[in-house]
Amino acid sequence: MRTDAAARPPRFGPRARRAALYIALIVMAVPFVVPTLWMITSSFKPLNEIFASPPSFFSANPTGAAYAEAFSFQPFARQYFNSVYIALVVTATTMLVSSLAGYAFARIRFPGRNLLFVVVLVGLLVPGEVTIVPLFQMFKQAGLVNTHWPLILVTAFAAPCVLATFIMRQFFIALPIELEEAARIDGLGRFGIWRRICLPLARPALSAVAILTFLSSWNLYLEPTVYLTSPELFTLPQALTRFTDAYGGEMWNTQLAAATMTAVPVLVVFIFAQRQFVESLAHSGLKG
Amino acid sequence: MPTTAKKLVSALALGTLAAAAGCAGTTASDENVALRMTVWTSNEDHLALFDSIADAYIADHPEIESITFESLPFEEYNTTLTTQIAGGNAPDLAWMGDLSADLIDSGALVPLTETLEGAEGWDYGDLVPSVTGEFSRDGELYAYPFSNSPFALYVNTDLLAEAGQTLDPAALTWDQVSALGSAVHAATGKGGFVVNDFNYSSWNTLATVWTAFGASAWNEDGTECGFASPEMTDAFTFLHNAVYTDESMPGPGVTADFFAGDAAFAVAQVSRAGNLDGSFAYDIQPLPQGPAGDYSVIGQAGMGVLQSSAHVEAATGFLAYLTDPENAAKLAQYFPPPRQSLLTGEGLAANNTKFTAEQLQTVVVDQVPGAVTLPNHTNPAEVAQKAKTALDAMWTPDADVPAVLASVCDAIDPLLAA
Amino acid sequence: MADTRIKPREAAPASRGPAARRRRVWTMSRADAAAGYLFIAPQLLGVLVFVIVPVGLAIWYSLNEWNVFTGATTFVGAANYQAALDDPQLPKVLGATAVFSGGVVVLNLALGLALAVMLNRRFRGSVLFRTLFFSPVVVSVVAWTLVWGFLLQDNGGINGVLAALGADGPNWLQSGPTAMIAVTFTQVVRSVGINMVLFLAALQGVPGELYEAARLDGAGSRRIFFRITLPLISPTLLLTAIITIVGALQSFAQIAVLTEGGPGLSTTVLVYYVFQQAFSFNDIGYGSTLALMLLTFVMVLTVIQWQLRRKWVFYED
Repeated sequence: MRTDAAARPPRFGPRARRAALYIALIVMAVPFVVPTLWMITSSFKPLNEIFASPPSFFSANPTGAAYAEAFSFQPFARQYFNSVYIALVVTATTMLVSSLAGYAFARIRFPGRNLLFVVVLVGLLVPGEVTIVPLFQMFKQAGLVNTHWPLILVTAFAAPCVLATFIMRQFFIALPIELEEAARIDGLGRFGIWRRICLPLARPALSAVAILTFLSSWNLYLEPTVYLTSPELFTLPQALTRFTDAYGGEMWNTQLAAATMTAVPVLVVFIFAQRQFVESLAHSGLKG
Repeated sequence: MPTTAKKLVSALALGTLAAAAGCAGTTASDENVALRMTVWTSNEDHLALFDSIADAYIADHPEIESITFESLPFEEYNTTLTTQIAGGNAPDLAWMGDLSADLIDSGALVPLTETLEGAEGWDYGDLVPSVTGEFSRDGELYAYPFSNSPFALYVNTDLLAEAGQTLDPAALTWDQVSALGSAVHAATGKGGFVVNDFNYSSWNTLATVWTAFGASAWNEDGTECGFASPEMTDAFTFLHNAVYTDESMPGPGVTADFFAGDAAFAVAQVSRAGNLDGSFAYDIQPLPQGPAGDYSVIGQAGMGVLQSSAHVEAATGFLAYLTDPENAAKLAQYFPPPRQSLLTGEGLAANNTKFTAEQLQTVVVDQVPGAVTLPNHTNPAEVAQKAKTALDAMWTPDADVPAVLASVCDAIDPLLAA
Repeated sequence: MADTRIKPREAAPASRGPAARRRRVWTMSRADAAAGYLFIAPQLLGVLVFVIVPVGLAIWYSLNEWNVFTGATTFVGAANYQAALDDPQLPKVLGATAVFSGGVVVLNLALGLALAVMLNRRFRGSVLFRTLFFSPVVVSVVAWTLVWGFLLQDNGGINGVLAALGADGPNWLQSGPTAMIAVTFTQVVRSVGINMVLFLAALQGVPGELYEAARLDGAGSRRIFFRITLPLISPTLLLTAIITIVGALQSFAQIAVLTEGGPGLSTTVLVYYVFQQAFSFNDIGYGSTLALMLLTFVMVLTVIQWQLRRKWVFYED
């Protein structure tokens, strides 16, 4: 210990630097962490404590009543299921569509390839607000308003999927081509090569795509607000804003309880999967 | 999940299926009629009452297969209902508040006067004249005003006592309320008076205050802006002083919920009494007097039939049943009725656990006949947003009250003229 | 493990030269081209049906006036475009959009890069901190914004803490500048995690030898960052910049839940304004006109970035 301290230059020793780094990180983490923690602890407060002044972190009389209320007030379990299944269907579809297209744009030469790639990229740039009114009319014509189809189809094929296609293309471009040539000699066709050779190698890019797509579906707010009117079809973000009494008054503690229930499971999954997540993005080809 | 909620969920699911089947090309027949009514309450007791009335009707009308009540959130009710109508997925019947003017003007509602007058035992003449105007055009009624809830002054007597103040109910004025609120705020740190639901956004609720000063948002036919009038200036000067000088009204960004015990007074509809949870002692008074003397304000809700319904006749028939004297009496448990015969303190008190017959006589029965409604105009959302945007400038300590009010008129004049 | 994956990638640019490509890719065959079309068909069709056709329809809608209650439409030509020019609110809305999007993009990229640099090294707790900074990304926007709405009340948590420290906090959501700061800040904190992870991924792809060589040459850490790190991760910077701009221009939920565009029009960004016009005021023609304006902005910004990339993006092929 003593020798350490003696050897250290007075101001910028590794320990001081490390301490400074920790302090900076802890201070910076406050706005990232405190709201979530406050959301969780406040969901156990009775209504009159939520706005108590001075504010408290923990409740004097904790109660789980808001959690029960969340389920009795709306078909919340059903809404939970809706969000989960829509996100899963969208994610699976996107993985399939984007890995096929990304592979073709990276590896197969066909007339018009670059032009068609630009056309697809346009899908990434058109804000959802431009297309939502016409899409609403189209889905209305098709009789699909107040169903989950618009939420599934648009997310699985439009902007989030285009981003996924872009990621997959970048990954496949960087993949060494020798493997494919060997497979080709073994008599595999394009589909076989994609399925047997490239997809297994593309696991990091696919998991990055899966995570990003899942999150964009999970967080969708404008679209369900526009397309869905029956509470049993609602998704979670939309349901969260519906915890109001018969006159529009906010049911704050119920909202917080519901928000906690929507956030915590995803957070837990993320905590366990975070290393793989960062690694998969690192190797997804997204770095350029 | 309580059984009512479960029932509601499955009923809704069935309703959606039936509606989907309807869309799939079967022509509207007079059999297996499935009716749907959008409402903004999600209160289980309300829905249970509606369900029981619907069940009784179905029992007598074999052609009606189901009647479902679809709860939409109050805040997005207008947007959602409009989207449903625009999307060809309109309900057969709907509750309506400030969307009524647009619905009536665009011919989206079925006229009701003839049906209701002709319905046996319905007694059209029983309707209080003051409550039908909002939902009528040229003497024709387009929606039944099932809820006519007067605004009243709720008092937290515990907070007043804590601050050592007493309230003299005789000839209560806004100045007194502000003085008491100021004293309560100084003594306890809690809020003085709040206008419920205003939240520095829904300015139309302030009609409960400015009417006391003789002001109105616009003239009778909604063509001329009333915000720049001297009366309105007085009203907003009073409010501005209450917020920034007397500190008797919690300012913007401060959450003070009367029903959670955070304020001494609240202006709110009588129907909000359900939010009183007994955690403090309370009283209720008619709205305080202002320079213009006595006045009363009601918030109304109507039920109408949509022209786009495939079963207009069946829907209108059900509406007549739902609102006949017998069922109107049941609805009166929760919604202050439009019928003279039901508007008695004792009648209302029979189903009211929060207030005495005497209190209900003064704050409901005596108020409804002479009441004005909250300001309502065609294109309500745009009028509300434009005026709100201009009015935001009012809520700073050094705001120029007349200038801000003039800017409100500048903002909404083009809409009023249209 | 990581190395074996990275190495082929590092080798890739060499084999990507035009000569190498011509030699290595199979000769074009009709069957192969057919497979290509088949593979991209679902994605291409999806973009056509769910993006291109709706944009075409939006142009048509912008030339019409709608009555949503009756379903009647009237052709009005350029009237909606004229209305946009005459709209007294629109300049304020565009100003708010520029301030918000600009603020979000700059802060988001700067903070994301700073966090990535700080957390790039392995040290005790680095994984924990990565998780903490990323965690808001997985909290739904609405839940996140609701909580911030509480904290930002005049008598809410933030001012409570400030009061405990002896400071008098502003009424955050009630004055234009602080409301803009609040919506920008909450948006950045919520979404910076994605950029942090993308930058981390990019930083891990910078070969360590380059740093060592630079250090041997006596370069300081600031110089190394600007001369080596930044150029090498510039492709990621371009991608994140595009994603962040598009995301910022589409921030609807934050505004809807936190400020409803107020006070005044100070936080009414174009997206929120479009939603109001089309879905609250039922003015679908005007809403479409404004949405097309938004699209034009995004396109112009992207094209500019794409053109500029040759100036600042390193090793583009």
